[in-house]
Amino acid sequence: MFETPGKFEMMADEVEQQQTTNTVEEPLDLIRLSLDERIYVKMRNDRELRGRLHAYDQHLNMILGDVEETVTTIEIDEETYEEIYKSTKRNIPMLFVRGDGVVLVAPPLRVG
Amino acid sequence: MEVTHSIRERTIAENSLVILLQGLQGHVTTVELRDESSARGRLVNVDAFMNVRLEEVDYCDRRGRPSKVAELFITGRNVRYVHIPDHVDIMETIQTQLKKIHRVRNFGSRHGGRKEYTKKTPRK
Repeated sequence: MFETPGKFEMMADEVEQQQTTNTVEEPLDLIRLSLDERIYVKMRNDRELRGRLHAYDQHLNMILGDVEETVTTIEIDEETYEEIYKSTKRNIPMLFVRGDGVVLVAPPLRVG
Repeated sequence: MEVTHSIRERTIAENSLVILLQGLQGHVTTVELRDESSARGRLVNVDAFMNVRLEEVDYCDRRGRPSKVAELFITGRNVRYVHIPDHVDIMETIQTQLKKIHRVRNFGSRHGGRKEYTKKTPRK
């Protein structure tokens, strides 16, 4: 089953069952608490997403709104051989994210 | 827009967010692949495993070199993102897609329906 905010629960194994429980029982329930909130998602390949969680499922496929994607690359200075961290950002209004790229999900990081 | 004939795929789809992508069939979207290339075109078909067929595609490879392709098949594993068009109502799309699946499942309701897998079905 997947979760979206609001009254809508139509998954096959839910139709005849009770309402979604409000207690936290398994790790995915922690994500459920973040529905409709802004979250931080760390992804594979040095990517990060910050956006509003609209929906997710058991694979961690997610639908994020107002997303900012940050791609971090390391460049090596040819003379000093020091590592320079560069990040590229872009914004996408509504994004479907395939779950196998997701590493972690958290509330947005607060600076300071 | 057809629902898959496979009971297995219908069940997988209705229990995951792939169903939203199936509801986007017919729309023009951008699919970003794992290898950093991207394909923008009309979604012809998405199956339960997120395999995607696109047509009239503007494909950009990892280097950003553009090319045009009439038809493109992307394996589900290679999908990283799918951009959802602005005008799409997500809840409505999902509900419509679910109704289509339920309509197929309840086909032949005079004789009690197709009797697809439901947890609560008693054994006869």
